[in-house]
Amino acid sequence: MAGKPQPVRVLYCAVCSLPAEYCEFGPDFEKCKPWLIQNAPDLYPDLVKEANAKEADKVANQLQSTGISSGGDGAASSAPKQEEVKRLPGGKIKKKERQEVTIEKMTRNKRKCITTVKGLELFGVKLSDASKKLGKKFATGASVVKGPTEKDQIDVQGDIAYDIVEFITDTWPDVPEAAIFFIEDGRKVPAA
Amino acid sequence: MFKKFSSEEVSAQNQVKASVQRKIRQSIADEYPGLEQALEDLLPKKSPLIVAKCQNHLNLVVVNNVPLFFNIRDGPYMPTLRLLHQYPDIMKKLQVDRGAIKFVLAGANIMCPGLTSPGGALDDTVAAETPVAIMAEGKQHALAIGFTKMSAKEIRDINKGIGVDNMHYLNDGLWKMEHLD
Repeated sequence: MAGKPQPVRVLYCAVCSLPAEYCEFGPDFEKCKPWLIQNAPDLYPDLVKEANAKEADKVANQLQSTGISSGGDGAASSAPKQEEVKRLPGGKIKKKERQEVTIEKMTRNKRKCITTVKGLELFGVKLSDASKKLGKKFATGASVVKGPTEKDQIDVQGDIAYDIVEFITDTWPDVPEAAIFFIEDGRKVPAA
Repeated sequence: MFKKFSSEEVSAQNQVKASVQRKIRQSIADEYPGLEQALEDLLPKKSPLIVAKCQNHLNLVVVNNVPLFFNIRDGPYMPTLRLLHQYPDIMKKLQVDRGAIKFVLAGANIMCPGLTSPGGALDDTVAAETPVAIMAEGKQHALAIGFTKMSAKEIRDINKGIGVDNMHYLNDGLWKMEHLD
């Protein structure tokens, strides 16, 4: 077995999965920092120093706050939670999608139509269950269809546009009536 | 190339027959002479070798559910970065300067000036159209795998435009796919 190259073991960051030395270029360096300080202190000497300084500050702060008031801890922990922003590659920030349900009627064969419901999944509704319920309620075919731009939608046969609002708000109380919209002639019209 | 890549792109996974397996082994051994000794560990003759076909004429060589090599059409086999990190000396290395790291990790191709600047390094034996490891200034490990568009000499002379195509880089889709099942 002479000369056989041994595999090198590379230290990978547990947070972002990159080799530890590339964390600073990773998607979220801030989150990696605590792990790095513990596991790869020699790679980022600045970080450790920074952390030590912070630690010292914290201790000092704590000493002060305990001196002033004992009930100060509660206020600190209820600090506003940072809203998680999904970052797309390239540093663009993905906008949080508006939670709303849109209902559209499409005519087919002149007197037959299909009602499509989009956006129910944003309220944590299982689409397959929802389509079954809709089909049962309106006694028609209802199916989950891969819509445009890879979003799933529910197609229900027949014109049920007006009954459906009540049905949705009754069945899923999480969905407010104000979040339901009709699409008429390409314009959004609130249902409420 | 793997910027957006997930298991959904795998259209078919087949256990290849022994003759194909032998051919793959042979071409990998030819391409990476330094790996020959370790090849028995990586691609054991006994265990089944799976080739996953993906979109864009991409093939992944998968052993024990771990992707090890990839190639495009009938191009050369290239190791995944995880494999390259384990055996860093199997490929020729080009080094980019620190300023380029950010862009390479976002999937950009490697431009000539990043290789010729003081922070970069060129291996003069590199010819055009060969797979290379892309290293970075001040870092130990490779950050990308590239396919040269020009030879090292041309890169130095022309010093403009794309020198190396970025095939696979840290934190791209293939990197995130540690296991394929």
